Amino acid sequence: MKGINKILESIGRGVGKVVGAMYQAGRESIDQVITNVLPFMAFISLIIGIILATGIGDWIANTLSPLAASLLGLIVLSVIIAIPVLSPLLGPGAVIAQIIGTLLGTQFATGAIPARFALPALFAINPQVGCDFIPVGLALGEAEPETVEIGVPAVLFSRFVTGPISVVLAWLASIGMYQ
Amino acid sequence: MDALARAAEWFIGLFIQGGQTFTGLVTGIIPLLIVLMTFVNALITLIGPDKINAMGKTAAKEGILYYPIRYMIFPFLAVFFLTNPMAYTMGRFLPEKYKPAFYDSAVSMVHPPLGVFPHVNPGEYFVWAGIANGVTEAGYNIGDLAVRYLLVGFVVILLRGIVTERISFIMWRREDKDEAAA
Repeated sequence: MKGINKILESIGRGVGKVVGAMYQAGRESIDQVITNVLPFMAFISLIIGIILATGIGDWIANTLSPLAASLLGLIVLSVIIAIPVLSPLLGPGAVIAQIIGTLLGTQFATGAIPARFALPALFAINPQVGCDFIPVGLALGEAEPETVEIGVPAVLFSRFVTGPISVVLAWLASIGMYQ
Repeated sequence: MDALARAAEWFIGLFIQGGQTFTGLVTGIIPLLIVLMTFVNALITLIGPDKINAMGKTAAKEGILYYPIRYMIFPFLAVFFLTNPMAYTMGRFLPEKYKPAFYDSAVSMVHPPLGVFPHVNPGEYFVWAGIANGVTEAGYNIGDLAVRYLLVGFVVILLRGIVTERISFIMWRREDKDEAAA
């Protein structure tokens, strides 16, 4: 009898732990969606709506899409975004990357930019990732002030090199996709 | 009067289009996002995020063999379990000289997994979803794109780790020389 009780108890405890974790996870997910995802969706929808309804979309399709629809154009985009002075300004909240991504998305949707450029484009819009956050990020890793002094320029210069390379890598990796 | 009515119609038209886009995003993305995030968040709680602390020691070792651990696997696991921005706290397990490169590597991993693991950074979901949505609307399946984004992400963070490590080593050496001269 005692053995059975013990088994029942451990089953109950295990189930309780799993259910509790799942319930908590669900609450976290809903919180994140409401506080982070939905507001951004509202903002993005407004931008897309205005672009589509006013004809700015056609203008983008005619002027910017040809640039984004070539490897060279995407490399140029990544180099501009990775300029060490610009990249920290473009970083915060990845807002700029998300807007450019969405703008390009409208062009992928109409086929103005062929889908095979999607992967290099994902890297071309993002060489500035985290460039605004280097001192804070290093401080979170308990870095000394001297490390931050070196770390900030080191990361910024590195991006100027690795940004365009990442676009080329992505372009190579997308060979054979969406042909 | 007629012109006014037409202007009003045009004005509302801007937002009708936006509203339709919003409906599409909410019904198309949110349900999957919520369920997937719930699953992964529960998994992380059950596994216990502190398990990756032990890996910090391995990642701190010298030698070329440990580069892929320090700048590929460790940053990915940090981002996967701790998400943005707590992932960067894992830098504390590394010696000072590796910290800038580790940060570069980890912060470059906060977007490539979004197609498969959106829980790592839901607040910046549209870095991925902006383009992915367009590709979906063009009639393509984005599974392939999501997986390749993640895989190329691994290669890119390794590259960033190595390049940033080199650059910071050079800068430290130069600084030491300046100090010796002064």
